[in-house]
Amino acid sequence: MARRHLIIGGGTAGMNAIRTIREEESERSTITLVSAEKPYSRMVLPYYLDRSIAESHVFTATARVLADWGTTTQLGKRATALDTKANVCTLDDGTKVEYDDCLIATGSSAVRAPVPGADGPGVHSFWTLDQARGVLAQIQPGSHVVMVGAGFIAFTILNSILSLGAKLTIVEVAPRILPRMIDDTGAGLVQTWLEQNGVAVRTGAKLTRIDDVKGRRRLKMAAGGDLVADVVIMATGIRTNLDWLKGSDVKINQGVVVDDHLRSSVPNVYAAGDVAEGRDLISQANAVHAIEPTAQEHGRIVGANMAGKDVRYRGSLIINIVEVCHLDVASFGAWDDAKAEAANGVKPDRPAYRKLLWRGDRLTGAIILGPSSDIWTSNDVGMLKGLVQSGVSLGPWKAHLKKNPFDIKPAFIATKTTSSLLPETILGRPSKAPGESPVAV
Amino acid sequence: MKVLKIHPEKCTGCLRCELACSYMQTGDYQPAKSVIRVSPFEGHTSYAPYTCTQCAEGWCMTACPVGAITISAVGAKDVQDDRCVGCKLCTIACPYGTMFYDPATRKAFKCNLCGGAPACAEACPTAAITYEDVETADWLGDFARERTARVLAEAR
Ligand SMILES: Cc1cc2nc3c(=O)[nH]c(=O)nc-3n(C[C@H](O)[C@H](O)[C@H](O)COP(=O)(O)OP(=O)(O)OC[C@H]3O[C@@H](n4cnc5c(N)ncnc54)[C@H](O)[C@@H]3O)c2cc1C
Ligand code: SF4
Ligand code: SF4
Repeated sequence: MARRHLIIGGGTAGMNAIRTIREEESERSTITLVSAEKPYSRMVLPYYLDRSIAESHVFTATARVLADWGTTTQLGKRATALDTKANVCTLDDGTKVEYDDCLIATGSSAVRAPVPGADGPGVHSFWTLDQARGVLAQIQPGSHVVMVGAGFIAFTILNSILSLGAKLTIVEVAPRILPRMIDDTGAGLVQTWLEQNGVAVRTGAKLTRIDDVKGRRRLKMAAGGDLVADVVIMATGIRTNLDWLKGSDVKINQGVVVDDHLRSSVPNVYAAGDVAEGRDLISQANAVHAIEPTAQEHGRIVGANMAGKDVRYRGSLIINIVEVCHLDVASFGAWDDAKAEAANGVKPDRPAYRKLLWRGDRLTGAIILGPSSDIWTSNDVGMLKGLVQSGVSLGPWKAHLKKNPFDIKPAFIATKTTSSLLPETILGRPSKAPGESPVAV
Repeated sequence: MKVLKIHPEKCTGCLRCELACSYMQTGDYQPAKSVIRVSPFEGHTSYAPYTCTQCAEGWCMTACPVGAITISAVGAKDVQDDRCVGCKLCTIACPYGTMFYDPATRKAFKCNLCGGAPACAEACPTAAITYEDVETADWLGDFARERTARVLAEAR
């Protein structure tokens, strides 16, 4: 059995793996963590930005916890090469770490639109804690913030920017917002909602360059007039951190290709989270799911397998939720499957929107949008996830839902979805609480 | 572990459980803040309360990026308010739809079995909710299937 585990990347996937190794192993092993940054959760950064939590709240393990977990740390250092024949990882300061098995969990980085001035002063990405500090230091009440890109990550920080008292303009090159999270109808409702809440939105707007004009940023647009901003945030996409693996034997496609145990093409090398191209629960094909729940599940599966268990992964389900100005927007699974049967319902005045998608009589995807004060919205959010995750046969309920896409609950309960979900666990046993692991976080 | 066992055939739809729950959880009689919800079936002729099963996976707990959901002394998955940042990941992760979110406090909330003395079970006049040492189960499935058959057939 592997006695020396090496975890590369101390984000969500890496930390879940370490905790699960300690939960599952029968004999204490050696764990080394190499991470360019200290362990923290990126998805908590929006709450640091709006100042509702202290910076310390974003960290997922302190030095003390890592020590209690018996983890040897190499923090602030990057892996630069992996020799899978010698089982040695080289770090940027020349350190060499030997391992029996290792986990690649180096996550992704933000990418900026390739325009002149994109790296200039006052232009930020929002992906790391350092970048969040940079943005927080720049935004003042009354600042004009221009968000370049209208994808999911941009949306996770809209509320924070507004709550800092800034004026916000969103520019998106695509003809619509949230292109990879919801469909056209949903996007239209969200855009109207944002505009009603004082956010300017320019879609189909191509940024050509950014100039520094007397300490402010002028964004030159291909059409429709230029913009002047105090702060520019580029939320124009992410890229997996896999360059350092060039020249290794690990097979890389969109991400590191992994099997149903999260093993790469090299059996003692695992990959998890944003860098892993693993099984998608709905299509059963391989895909990169750069979301928190996938990183958590991947990390736990790897941890258990590293600890000598034999845990198969059922595949990950795309789930996303974001709240903008008290409107919840969520999507699940194959919501953009053009070959699926679909039904939808709109209540434009609230606004509320549902789209349900089927293959046969199983729900394979859904979009839901509604006021966050509406308790039914959050209950339906969960039940839609349950229907997609369990893949229960809807039988006659399919016709009912097609006519009444807002009537989720009776369909969920009467198809006995609860029965099919209750036995399901990720690790084949009840989960332990974060504080119940050998050492508390 | 003791769980809330639901006996749907006994529920009269009086909503006392919702009132008791909201009072216990928030100090206000506000059914909108209740984490047990009475659902109508058969076009509002039968009812059944629905709440968190305290499932084995605890999807809400494992999804939380900051470890704000833990397991309490009585075995309930419980939100720690001072850790919760209000990101809603638990609301989308729980596949039973039994996580709640309060826009006023910006915190998630859920059934925590009232620390071992569930107010809903105590308030129910017909013992449609009991607190017992049994395996958690799908208490409503069969009942709902039976009580919706007519409505479904009529719709066709
Ligand atoms: C602002 C923001 C909001 C988000 N909101 C959500 C949300 O609401 N829902 C959701 O599902 N997802 C959200 N995400 C995405 C989510 O945070 C990621 O999917 C998740 O962090 C992926 O986890 P990971 O472990 O794969 O990678 P990461 O958490 O990115 O961790 C990677 C780690 O590897 C380190 N590293 C990188 N290269 C090297 C190297 N060469 N050597 C050593 N270490 C290295 C990094 O420093 C980092 O510590 C959000 C992300 C951001 C930035
Ligand atoms: S809220 Fe949902 S996921 Fe959490 S314990 Fe209850 S049923 Fe399970
Ligand atoms: S809303 Fe709170 S309890 Fe739920 S996942 Fe986010 S931080 Fe955790």
